[in-house]
Amino acid sequence: MAKVVIDPLTRIEGHLRIEVEVENGLVVEAHVIGTMYRGIEAMLRGRDPRDATYVTERVCGVCAGSHGWASSMALDKAFGANVPAGGRIIRNLIIGAMFLHDHPLHFYHLSALDYLDVMAVAQYQGKDPGLLAVKDKIVKLVVAGDTAPLTPRYKPDAFSVNDPELVTMAVAHYLKALEMQAKAKKMSALFAGKQPHQSSIVVGGVTMLPNIEVVEQFRSMLMEQLDFVEKTYLQDVLTFGTGPLLPLAQAGVGGGALNYMSYGGFARDNENKDLFFKAGLIMDGNLGNILPIDENKITEDVQYSWYKASANGKTPYTEDTVPDLDKQGAYTFVKAPRYDAKPIEVGPLARMLVMQPKGLMDIIAKNSIKPGAVARHAARAYETLLLVKDMFTWCDALEKEMGSKDFRVHDTDHWEAPVSGQGAGMTEVPRGSLGHFIKVADHKIENYQMVVPTTWNFSPRDDKGVRGPVEQALIGVPVPDLDNPVNIVRVVRSYDPCLACAIHLIHPVTNDIKKFQIGW
Amino acid sequence: MGNFDLLTVKGVTRRDFMKLVAATTAALGLPELFIPQAASALEQALKKPPVIWLEGMDCTGCTESAIATLNPSAAALIIDMLSIRYHETIMAGSGQSCEEAYQAALKEDFVLIVEGACPAKEDRYCMVGGKPFRKTLIEAAQKAQVIIAIGSCASEGAGIPGACATGAVGVAEILRNEGINKPVINLPCCPVKPTTLIGTLVYYLTYHKAPPLDSQNRPVAFYGTLLHDNCPRRGHFESGEFLTDWNDPVQKGYCLMLKGCKGPQTYTDCAQVWWNDNANFCINAGSPCAGCSEKSFYKEFSPLYVKQELFKLPGIGQVNADTVGAVIGGAAAIGLGAHLIATAASGRLSNKDHDHDHKEDM
Repeated sequence: MAKVVIDPLTRIEGHLRIEVEVENGLVVEAHVIGTMYRGIEAMLRGRDPRDATYVTERVCGVCAGSHGWASSMALDKAFGANVPAGGRIIRNLIIGAMFLHDHPLHFYHLSALDYLDVMAVAQYQGKDPGLLAVKDKIVKLVVAGDTAPLTPRYKPDAFSVNDPELVTMAVAHYLKALEMQAKAKKMSALFAGKQPHQSSIVVGGVTMLPNIEVVEQFRSMLMEQLDFVEKTYLQDVLTFGTGPLLPLAQAGVGGGALNYMSYGGFARDNENKDLFFKAGLIMDGNLGNILPIDENKITEDVQYSWYKASANGKTPYTEDTVPDLDKQGAYTFVKAPRYDAKPIEVGPLARMLVMQPKGLMDIIAKNSIKPGAVARHAARAYETLLLVKDMFTWCDALEKEMGSKDFRVHDTDHWEAPVSGQGAGMTEVPRGSLGHFIKVADHKIENYQMVVPTTWNFSPRDDKGVRGPVEQALIGVPVPDLDNPVNIVRVVRSYDPCLACAIHLIHPVTNDIKKFQIGW
Repeated sequence: MGNFDLLTVKGVTRRDFMKLVAATTAALGLPELFIPQAASALEQALKKPPVIWLEGMDCTGCTESAIATLNPSAAALIIDMLSIRYHETIMAGSGQSCEEAYQAALKEDFVLIVEGACPAKEDRYCMVGGKPFRKTLIEAAQKAQVIIAIGSCASEGAGIPGACATGAVGVAEILRNEGINKPVINLPCCPVKPTTLIGTLVYYLTYHKAPPLDSQNRPVAFYGTLLHDNCPRRGHFESGEFLTDWNDPVQKGYCLMLKGCKGPQTYTDCAQVWWNDNANFCINAGSPCAGCSEKSFYKEFSPLYVKQELFKLPGIGQVNADTVGAVIGGAAAIGLGAHLIATAASGRLSNKDHDHDHKEDM
């Protein structure tokens, strides 16, 4: 048995260390380790509750906006604020644009280099002037002996794409996607002030009172995004996923926990009933039985995390958070959230399996794709297309609202902090299900907790020793060459980890645990 | 081989190069006449410097902000302008190959860019590659030709992490603690503004020295003016028109002081150089400035949405000049305080102000 350590695991948000044990070319044991802690929730205690949207926004600058959004929802409830339709739609547009930023960026800039033999570009023999320019650029970098940041890298392996035409196209799209992610942030900033780290979303709604010109500028940029998502991003993912990467897809490498959850998100009405992302839960891979979510079944374990264990039976509203760096047996700053005592995968694959859009399900069935790294990329690209299309109707709805005499973006009557109150903001953000929980006492924050997507996916073992979803997904992953564990980073990155987000905590509530079963 | 040929070999076309120069001179606020001079200087100087870009207790927001640039493009920044040898979010390699790339770059004459804060006392709060981030930071800082701290977390005060209980501080403080006397160029804001970073890099690569810096080691070109003095809403401030309701079209554009705006204490070019390709900035979006370019951010600027401290600061008769100076930046503070007090005393502010603290401060 050989131990392989990857630290830092790059091209993700935050600091991640992976330790696996390999036997006969396969991973037999895995630990995922978060190595940085800031303690933002604890710092919020005693502060003006309205600060929480601004401060938690800064938990992560990649899924920028996400935490401010979830925080505002928690505060809305605690303050008793009724967000007017204008505020709700503008919040949705701010975050929707950031999905258009996050997903292609994850595919091209954070993941693609794991699948491409970039140096195959030098062999491109075609005549396309755009691709020849890409070839020229890469060749000149090689000639100059300065190919950073494209090298060093893991060696291309049996799954790597080395067709010069395909690789050159992918590198051209890597560069195009760099431009498109900047434009998506610009779209978001039109309503948000700036991105990353918008300031517009506050308790009660938003601060930006838009005019028609801004909405139309957003809409025209949305058309450019649609064109890119439909004709480039999704096509590339499908070309790779059903082409050179099909064996990886069909083998279901990186399948993980077959339990999936989506809180639902992007309300299209003020009653929070018509959601773009549907809410639901899938247990043990049973796609035919979408279960409702009971937020009381969400708990967290800390036996393997560097935190002091507090008394059992506490809710996210009342628990506390104390680091314990010398704790025996602990190995990560990430906690172990469980739903009904089971590890759960959240994110685009979970959302799409809950939603089951026909187009995607047909692709999966036709190509016999199993849940795993490649399926995650496909689900992420497919939901981007669904989202970008739906966003046009959000622009329509906003303009309709703006035409009414009493158009409003903010609930001014509930701007001041209440004496007391509590609320949960639970929604879907690019990496999965995000929950913020606040308790207000004496006009101040008494307690604040976040349960974030990467905490679900990158959790350590729970108190019963059951691995977290990614730890489980790594078991059985082929590592034929110990010096080149590229399949491990492929699996890990397919979850789009965000460790700065993950290291936030709720405290343990231990329930009876059922035996974890894998089945599909 | 001429210097530009050298660049050409590295994959930069003449057209791309001139676009880069034009955009960056604009970012620096220099006149167009400067473009040929900058181009010439850059050709002499710009040999795609090796860059080590470290991330500590960060959120990757500064990297995200840097690549939010559209003019010059993000590709021009990360491929044409710089040779990024180590950057955890961008680089192809992982694990051991990162360590090797880092060690190789350490032997060169590299530029160090640091994003995120650093725990000053307990190393285990931030470990990268199995090593304390603090030790890596000190090692790289000692060997770098120049150190640029980007974003509030890496700058003085350490932004949001600086308010937390982990003992997080900025780069300069870590070096001071070690007795390392090496200047750090601070580019605060949460996150760093891309024009600020690119402008500073171009200046440094052109002249091989830091641009003129203020007392917090921020380039005066980007942090030399008080936001309040350049605010597009300043006219409404002068007229005593303060926003109380974000829904009211009449109030759109009114001064955000009652919503907690820190503009009168904040040195930044946000009013002149907007964010995201000049799409917007906080105040234009109706959001009060949180003062993220100041070392008082966030700890001393909290609560963010309450206006009180703006008027407590000057407090005529009880003023502690040192305190005021430390908080709002020296001589300018006196003028600012006098101005605010005059405005308040004339009654323009108090007409619409319902905060109890107000009268005590006058």
